[in-house]
Amino acid sequence: MALLAYIGRRLLFVGPQLVGILLVSFFLVKLIPGDPAVLMLGPFATPDALARLRTELGLDGTLIEQFLIYLWNVLQGDLGTSWQTTLPVTIDLAQRFPATLELVTLGLLLALLIGIPLGVAGAFFKRGLLRKAADYYGLLAGALPDFWLALVLIFVFYTMLGIAPAPLGRIDFAILPPEPVTGALLIDSLIAGNWAAFWNAAGHLVLPVVTLGLINAGPILKMTQSTMERMLEADFSRYAEMCGLPRHVVLRKALRNSLPSIVTIVSVLYGFLIGGAVLVEIVFSWGGAGQYAVQGVLNADLNPVLGFVLYSAVLSLVIYLIVDLIYFAIDPRTR
Amino acid sequence: MAAGHEPMRAVAREVTTTPRAAARPAGSGRLLFFLAVLRARPNYALGYGIVTLVVLLAIFAPLVAPFDPVQANPAAYLQPPGWPHLMGTDATGMDILSRVIYAPRIDLTIALAGTLISAVAGSLVGAAVGYYQTVRGLGAFASGFVMRASDVLQAFPVFVFAIAIVAVLGQSLESIIIAVAFVNAPIYLRLMRSQVMSVRRMRYVEAAYIAGTSDREILTRHVIPNAIAPVLAQLSVNIGWAILLTAALSFIGAGVEAPTPEWGSMIAMGFQNIITGHWWPSIFPGLALAVTVFGFALVGSSVEVLADPARRRALAGQMEQRRRATLPVGPAPAGADGGD
Repeated sequence: MALLAYIGRRLLFVGPQLVGILLVSFFLVKLIPGDPAVLMLGPFATPDALARLRTELGLDGTLIEQFLIYLWNVLQGDLGTSWQTTLPVTIDLAQRFPATLELVTLGLLLALLIGIPLGVAGAFFKRGLLRKAADYYGLLAGALPDFWLALVLIFVFYTMLGIAPAPLGRIDFAILPPEPVTGALLIDSLIAGNWAAFWNAAGHLVLPVVTLGLINAGPILKMTQSTMERMLEADFSRYAEMCGLPRHVVLRKALRNSLPSIVTIVSVLYGFLIGGAVLVEIVFSWGGAGQYAVQGVLNADLNPVLGFVLYSAVLSLVIYLIVDLIYFAIDPRTR
Repeated sequence: MAAGHEPMRAVAREVTTTPRAAARPAGSGRLLFFLAVLRARPNYALGYGIVTLVVLLAIFAPLVAPFDPVQANPAAYLQPPGWPHLMGTDATGMDILSRVIYAPRIDLTIALAGTLISAVAGSLVGAAVGYYQTVRGLGAFASGFVMRASDVLQAFPVFVFAIAIVAVLGQSLESIIIAVAFVNAPIYLRLMRSQVMSVRRMRYVEAAYIAGTSDREILTRHVIPNAIAPVLAQLSVNIGWAILLTAALSFIGAGVEAPTPEWGSMIAMGFQNIITGHWWPSIFPGLALAVTVFGFALVGSSVEVLADPARRRALAGQMEQRRRATLPVGPAPAGADGGD
């Protein structure tokens, strides 16, 4: 019951927060110089045609009016149209958001697979080569630009060795993509039982996922290591050791108690990567949501940017809510 | 959302509750102690070495660079590394080594200026918010408003936000600096706020208040000096991030424009070449970028230890122990600094 009340209280703040986020991004993007009407009709358009198009696009009211109209449309599920793709933003994002989510989720999973074992090992063996390697890896992962690492991987595995597919999207042009259900190619091709598409999409995922995994393992490693160190020095670990429990049991208990901070860092990274993976998306021509938003900003295309900001804000709110529920599940003190 | 800042706050509190005066090893100069630390921790020395080298390269670039960094030479395009182009040439025939040497002029300027602006503005506002948040009245209301505003700012996808700022202000050095400053300011705001909120509860602050000291004087003379250490530690790490952000902005074409030598835009220029096997236009600037950020990260981790009185003392103790262990006879005289 307390849990339900808690979720209710959280949801109460979501509305105003979303309106605030939309308000700021609306005015920010409106400030970008560039008139969509001119950009759409080209330099030789007549003033009449320009004025007509502006009225059509709702660009002739005051900014406040425009914002209120936009907000009203959003409430009815209409995020407007992108003048670049000429499609409704909801349709564009329905194609692109799953692409980004698939990439980011797999990237973070790989980062967890690298970061947690290294972090645990680094905390357990406080001296020695492994700890040094873990420390340097953490620093190095934070220093490498992801877009550059992506290029290096492309050079080695595509250009030199020829074992990776060309960095041109999520699936070969020659292969028919599966019927979209979730939008994630791996899942959709499994649903359709289309193994050719599955393996092809998986092949295209390898390099970008490895890029994101290698880079984001850094912060996960650091967080795991520092929390584990604290837990291994805590009284309950000392007590377990004194009782003569085997090492792996002590480690497991310490790791169990380190989970909340690992969950926290993963949620922060997840929220960040929805927009932050855009550079990797560009390098691999991924056609993801971040890329869509950046194109929107660079071309004064308001609706895609607002749509993206709205989607990612909602998504991070959902993630934070899920994280809080996970805390409830794994940390008895919060109950 | 606040959950993400919890560990930082925990560390921060530890810093301020430790008395500062006893931290320095007795009878030693700060410089000698610093040199001894560098000797005991070679990776810190590596970090300071890298940073010094990059700064020197930026200052003396015209003397060091073998070629003009923006001089295109269509006759010698995409030359592999060799003589006279040690790192080869790019698709327009510009010398890559010279461009790599000139690049920190732009990258460091943006990163330093952006980080300093965000640190000063962010921590001043953060200090005020932290100080007034617990008081009732207008101050508390304004503080709450600032925090909600910073929540909204932080809910934005960082990168899209930075690009939008550059797009609004027009593509120039100043707008990139402002974008970097804007994106980083909330970090300092939160850090300083949590610091000030814990320092505020100290007895000496209460004493000053009872003695009738004005709010402004309490803040500037008693609270901020005791809350500043973690902010300093954050600075160096943040300069590294700022360099990465600058390069990323230039990479997608929203930052420094070609042909100005800048690492991110150089990597972008070599993007097409790398697929055809010409790796050098992208690899070298990327390496330079990574090494530089790595150097700032190492300096950052050294500052983290040295600015924290407890950890500094622990380090000094370790060094002293090791020195004694290697001494041939007898215990070292008390108060020796290890810098001989």
